[in-house]
Amino acid sequence: MYYIDLAVTGVSFGCMYAIMAVGLTLVYGLLRILHIAHAAVFALGAYVTVLVANASGSILGGLIAAIVITPLFGMAIYRLLYEPLLKYRPDVPMVASVGLLVLMQDAFRVLFGEQGVTFRQNSLSFTTFDIAGVNISAVQIAIIVTTVVVFLGLHLFTTYTRIGVGWRATVSRPQIATSFGIDPIKVRYLNFAIGSALAAVAGGLVALLNNLVDPGIGFVVSYKALAIIVLGGLGSVQGTLVASLVLGLVEAYGTIFIGAWLDRDAIAFLALILLLMIRPQGFTGVRTA
Amino acid sequence: MLTYSLNSSSRGRKVLLGFASLVLLGAASMPAHAEIKIGFQVPQTGPAATDGKSAQIAGEVAADDINAAGGVLGQKVQLVTYDDQAKSDQAMFTANKLIGEDGVKLVVNASYSASGRAAAPVFQKAGVVMISAYGVHPDITRAGDYMFRLEHLGPPQGIAAAIYVGKKLGLKKISTITMDNDYGQATMEGFTEAAPKYGIQVINKYSYSLKDRQFGSIVASVKRDNPDGIYATGYFFTAGPLVAQLRAAGITVPIIGSQAFDSAKFIEIAGPAAEGTYIIDSFDRDRKDEALEKFFAEFKQRAGYPPEGVATETYSAVRLMADAIKRANSAEPDKVRDALAATKDYPLLEGKLIGFNKLHEMIMTVPVNVIKEGKFVPAGEVDDLDAIAPPEK
Repeated sequence: MYYIDLAVTGVSFGCMYAIMAVGLTLVYGLLRILHIAHAAVFALGAYVTVLVANASGSILGGLIAAIVITPLFGMAIYRLLYEPLLKYRPDVPMVASVGLLVLMQDAFRVLFGEQGVTFRQNSLSFTTFDIAGVNISAVQIAIIVTTVVVFLGLHLFTTYTRIGVGWRATVSRPQIATSFGIDPIKVRYLNFAIGSALAAVAGGLVALLNNLVDPGIGFVVSYKALAIIVLGGLGSVQGTLVASLVLGLVEAYGTIFIGAWLDRDAIAFLALILLLMIRPQGFTGVRTA
Repeated sequence: MLTYSLNSSSRGRKVLLGFASLVLLGAASMPAHAEIKIGFQVPQTGPAATDGKSAQIAGEVAADDINAAGGVLGQKVQLVTYDDQAKSDQAMFTANKLIGEDGVKLVVNASYSASGRAAAPVFQKAGVVMISAYGVHPDITRAGDYMFRLEHLGPPQGIAAAIYVGKKLGLKKISTITMDNDYGQATMEGFTEAAPKYGIQVINKYSYSLKDRQFGSIVASVKRDNPDGIYATGYFFTAGPLVAQLRAAGITVPIIGSQAFDSAKFIEIAGPAAEGTYIIDSFDRDRKDEALEKFFAEFKQRAGYPPEGVATETYSAVRLMADAIKRANSAEPDKVRDALAATKDYPLLEGKLIGFNKLHEMIMTVPVNVIKEGKFVPAGEVDDLDAIAPPEK
């Protein structure tokens, strides 16, 4: 039973990372920018969810508001921050991205308080189901279901819709895609909109799970998601999913062996270092060196 | 050489500025507007800003209360506040500023250990009295005889927890969960070392990072341990999610938390799951005590939320400093130091301060609260002063 409990925990950790990291992967795949400020987008999603939920009395309303508002912010980051910097070396937009993350964290602190915001009504995070002795919370189920829907949806979208195929084409062969009449700028906006909407969902769900949104909520996910996209093979959506789940399970099972000496972040990064030493190109990448 | 000359000229300007402010200071301390300055270091920005805000408001309330009652020695008390960001370098920088530019002789460091530890030697060397309101690192008081601490050290807090868990609650098998910073680990060491003496067997230990809010794997492991109780160290922002997740997994055994659980926000985050959580070294908020009630009302009005331990300790530290000045009948640091060292049965907001030991660590019983119907309710105290005695060197 213990091992199944840990598996449930690990899979829900992994799913959370996956929804968060896929936006990063998409941006890296398209623009070769390490979009660190994605963590601020995630945090914004969490804040919108909790604030709207508290104002309207509906958690679903909060999540929907986050999915609508956050992509606008994501697209604004592209338009106002990255686009003017794209002509420089990729580390220039990256530094700007770090700056935006720090700025946003302090903005959240100033606007919504140092102590963070909790849900007034959060029946979800206090609802748990006992399935044959295994405990799983309503939010964990929501996270796992969302991940399945998101990745299946992304797959169908990029395989069967015209715009989706165009998107994929732009990521892998930008010149050829342009010559086929695909507008690369539109694709970029689409990219930021989808990535940010997913970060918003992840932020909202993590907020519900913690029952707390504090200014630093994006911090852990920010550096962990970076590690995940490296491990997944930069720019690969499938690789990101696999890497996220592996990391989630390693964190969950790792506590059995070394829980007293190392916390879960340390376990995660130890595993990442080892995995990258074995496969520096990531799970799905091709070794180029 | 251009850089050098630039540097030296800016240094020259600083000296001049310092001199000018000294002159101003001299003018300001003319008898007609006499003021006693108390240096006040708080983390106004950065990751400790949550506690810093509470500490700052509490310090201001204390100064206002002192002045409303006529000040001390016929003079008003003025807090000279600097943001130390709870960082060592900022603490040293602002300590030097307080000494050099503001001419301050008495200081309340209302910040984390990283600040207090760095500032203590600077103040000690300059013969400035410092009270650390809630810094828990042992090095703070070891810096010298001008240093005082108004907080139980981590290990005595942990020992008090072991006494309470073993003797009062009678729990035998305990799983421990600790945050991996100095305070969390020092407190946990106190607990695990004292545990066998009080019939407690620690069956498993877990640790987590301060940044973490997701404790699924620890929760699953504790569930497998099937302990009689859980002892955890953490701050309200980790403790809230931790307790909520433990309860959500169907774990019903008592949870005993360390002092830093002590915040209304903890109850807000953990919601109904907070019920029945014991908090060691908390304080009795509903005690019939005029000063306490007044402080609670005033703080809540200014801050918008009720005061937590940090706020209460900071208020007490400023009041104690003023009381020591009164008893010394002087604001001279040497005399104030001696008066502080001679403190006996002083009523802090948290309870009665019995006094300070040789190292200027406070001697005080450890009160315990339990959460009932969303409120902090007194649940006795650990009064075995020999067992929880702070170190003397």
